[in-house]
Amino acid sequence: MKKSIYVLALITILFSACKNDKKQAESNSMQSSEMNMKEADGHDHDDHDHDATMGENSSKEERNIDATTQKNSATSAIIDSYLQIKNALVEDSKEGAAKGGAMMLTAFTDFDMSQLNDSQHKEYMEILEDAKEQAEHIVKSPIDHQREHFENLSIDVNDLIALLGTDKTLYQSKCPMAGEGKGAIWLSEYKEIKNPFFGSKMISCGSVQKQIN
Amino acid sequence: MKKLKKLFIFLLIVFVGIQFIPTKRNQSTEVLETDFSKTFAVPTNIQNMFEKSCYDCHSNNTNYPWYNKIQPISWLLENHIKEGKKEFNFSEFGAYSKRKQKNKLKSLASQIRDNEMPMQSYTLIHRDAKLSDNDKEQIIVWINKLRDSL
Ligand SMILES: [Cu+2]
Repeated sequence: MKKSIYVLALITILFSACKNDKKQAESNSMQSSEMNMKEADGHDHDDHDHDATMGENSSKEERNIDATTQKNSATSAIIDSYLQIKNALVEDSKEGAAKGGAMMLTAFTDFDMSQLNDSQHKEYMEILEDAKEQAEHIVKSPIDHQREHFENLSIDVNDLIALLGTDKTLYQSKCPMAGEGKGAIWLSEYKEIKNPFFGSKMISCGSVQKQIN
Repeated sequence: MKKLKKLFIFLLIVFVGIQFIPTKRNQSTEVLETDFSKTFAVPTNIQNMFEKSCYDCHSNNTNYPWYNKIQPISWLLENHIKEGKKEFNFSEFGAYSKRKQKNKLKSLASQIRDNEMPMQSYTLIHRDAKLSDNDKEQIIVWINKLRDSL
């Protein structure tokens, strides 16, 4: 009697495991068909070199924000969460930055994409994909790792503002020592320099490059 | 004593039983057009290092030693590979947006520099996957050059 219970249990385990396997396989194949679609869209590797010479967002530096930035409040929640991460890093607070990362994930989920036009949509999706990944890592990582991801995130948010605009007044600053000595930008709501890449170690390193709005 | 024997037999049945569970292995004979090696002009020695040290967990093709075909090791491994591919997949690198490619290259270099990758638990068993200081230097210099060109 007891034995048959064991056998039954074993069979159940076996079957449930098989089911999971199938599900996984399905989602895998879904992913790969999505990938193929992307390729058909012209993401083929062949035109990468091509892109590099003509794409506006493929220049070495981040996208330039021009003076005609439209006043758009739709990006506010995303920018607020970015500033929360930034201010936490200025204060060397890993927890604060993690909280900001979580806020950003929510802000992206709540963002209403229906107001984007076709040409904005494609770039928005690329920014979204990248920024979400940076935010996810900021949620779960130690502080130096958070700062590395914050570097990428700053470019994403900068590009997002260039693409969609903001109604906030922001300052784009640059720290020449960040980014492994290559320099890196960040955005701040203050003109005064408070460096998020090094925090208290080098709080006033950097200079304002431009004002947005 | 009798109880112990029963338990042992039970565990044995389970062990043999789980060997029959089909696992989807991460193996593929075709090299996708989006593979890293087809996306960029990668020098042979550098591509070899990537394949030896990274592709097992970060591509669509894992080179399985025999003990990784035994359950439940195999399960744990498949999960690990799934995570690894989500983070960075050499086989699909060409399909990433330029933005993502740049950031992934940056992380690739910094993880190798900081000895976070390849993972120690992996190189402990796969001795030949370990990168020497010279290997690391070569990879990082090359990646930085590539990043600047993107
Ligand atoms: Cu990370």
